Amino acid sequence: MSGDILTPILMGVMLGGLYALTALGLSMVFGVMRLINLAHGDLVVLGAYGSYAVLTMLGIDPILGLVITVPLMFCIGILIQKYLMSKAVTIGAEAPLIIAFGLSLIIQNANQIMFSPQSRGINTAYSQASFHIFGRQLPMIYLLDFIVGVVVMLVMQEFLKRTYMGRAISAAAQDTRASKLMGINTKRIYYYAFGIAMVSAAIAGTFLGMTFPFTPTSGTTFLTIAFGAVIIGGLGSMMGTFLGGIILGVVQTLSAHFLGANAQMLVLYVIILILLAFRPQGLFGR
Amino acid sequence: MMGTKMHTKPTVLLGYLVPALVLALLPVFGAPRSWLLYIFLFAIYLTMANMWNLLAGYSGLVSLCQPAFLGLAGYTMVIGTWIGIPWYCGIFLGAIVAALFSLLLSNAVFRLTGVYFSIGTMVVPEALRMVFYLWRPVGGSMVGAGAGYMVKGIESLRPDHFYWLALALAVVSMVIMRVVLRSDLGLGLAAVRDNEKSAATAGVNVFKLKVYTFMIAGAVTGLAGAIYYLNNGYIEPSNTFNVKWTMTLILATVIGGVRTEEGPFLGSIVAVFLYFMLARYSGYSLLIQGIILVVIMLASPQGIVGLLRKLKWYRNFTGYVAD
Repeated sequence: MSGDILTPILMGVMLGGLYALTALGLSMVFGVMRLINLAHGDLVVLGAYGSYAVLTMLGIDPILGLVITVPLMFCIGILIQKYLMSKAVTIGAEAPLIIAFGLSLIIQNANQIMFSPQSRGINTAYSQASFHIFGRQLPMIYLLDFIVGVVVMLVMQEFLKRTYMGRAISAAAQDTRASKLMGINTKRIYYYAFGIAMVSAAIAGTFLGMTFPFTPTSGTTFLTIAFGAVIIGGLGSMMGTFLGGIILGVVQTLSAHFLGANAQMLVLYVIILILLAFRPQGLFGR
Repeated sequence: MMGTKMHTKPTVLLGYLVPALVLALLPVFGAPRSWLLYIFLFAIYLTMANMWNLLAGYSGLVSLCQPAFLGLAGYTMVIGTWIGIPWYCGIFLGAIVAALFSLLLSNAVFRLTGVYFSIGTMVVPEALRMVFYLWRPVGGSMVGAGAGYMVKGIESLRPDHFYWLALALAVVSMVIMRVVLRSDLGLGLAAVRDNEKSAATAGVNVFKLKVYTFMIAGAVTGLAGAIYYLNNGYIEPSNTFNVKWTMTLILATVIGGVRTEEGPFLGSIVAVFLYFMLARYSGYSLLIQGIILVVIMLASPQGIVGLLRKLKWYRNFTGYVAD
């Protein structure tokens, strides 16, 4: 085995910030609506394609392009909640899952039609650059991933704590009936919660697209990672999700280091399944 | 309907056997090859859709890992033919492997409640696809990507044989549904689905019940997979452990009607029709199927059966058949 183990660990930790960001939307929708959005991964990929299109068609830097893609994804989120999910939950327990599954394949196939099944990457000057730390040369984009992950999570936490909308979302997550009685329009809160989840998906997708090549079917991978981070951290805990993301990031880079790039996702999947089997309440849960 | 054990009347069995016999005679009378292919696919879809209906409709387990069962059984059968196990043993060996795998899996996924269960199961085919990309169990030259294998030693078989196998299995799956739903197992499942906690309080062993159901579904889906790949003559990871299978099964069940016994039957006819109609637009096929799935789920959650049940003559007809 090669000696330098610090490089993959550093990269894994930084990647973990991004994974936590990917998980944020999933855990938000779950927290508020008790709904696992099976299409979350594909919506993240949609975010990545959005930034890819903004860069290649309009020539706008993908980070600046978020000004376009974020509101777009916010609206898509509201539409999904308004016309699909809010109706699905009234039908029965299985309906939201089946509808989300259908939605996931619709988005996958739509991405494939618009952008071809080929693997794409969002290439900018800074996504190719590198920086030095502890005498090691690491890709700059990983550092950006981490910073963005931390910043978005902090902003989200402040938003949930300090604004009316944020508090209303937290209240609805804790007890829908009670928050209704307090005069909160939970229906509208649900729209916004889904929209905000999609905002985080758009940001996560953009940075994932700068870090890894992606295809229309990458959504399953992203969903699994997001789900894994949420599971490890225990539901509802933002700090836990963040740690979960970092653990997954490190596991992935270490298994790529020791077992080869082909095996890294397999190791990740198996670890998530084992975790599900033995600690479904999460590593940090009670 | 519920509460007492039902005795299946002979008329019901006749209702399955007569159409099946008519279909079985088609190759003898020289029906066109394309017809036989349609009906073969219909029988495979029907079997798998029945099993998905048993899980999702009747047990509340929205499983997304059916490709794992059919793929593992298919691989077992195909690899068996490489190491000298005849295909007819391979099919059953495949079913056993699929059932054992579902048992292994149940320990992990049944700790998950409804919402977790689906994602937990969704990961499984993805992981298996990677395993079969990286792992080549028996030697031989590479065919296609990863572990692609041709089926060996079936030169003496004609497509008619596969056709009959599939038909027989479809009948078996219909009978299994009927028997299971009218047994204590089915009664327990209904109780669990309505209210898991109160069922457990009333002495239903929820975990055991779910494991049995999962194993039945695993084994029968495995059988269908093995027969499908026997007919296909070739197996490889990316088309086998593919979400397209899941989509087809869900679509067939949902179009027909989830949690109805006749739903998968009607739905599978539509699914075969869709399969050949959409073959021309393969690039758009998942998009169209996805839209159909979402629209039906929203407009008529019980699918065609839900619509039909609003008609009086249909209620009279099924009332007669069911009792």
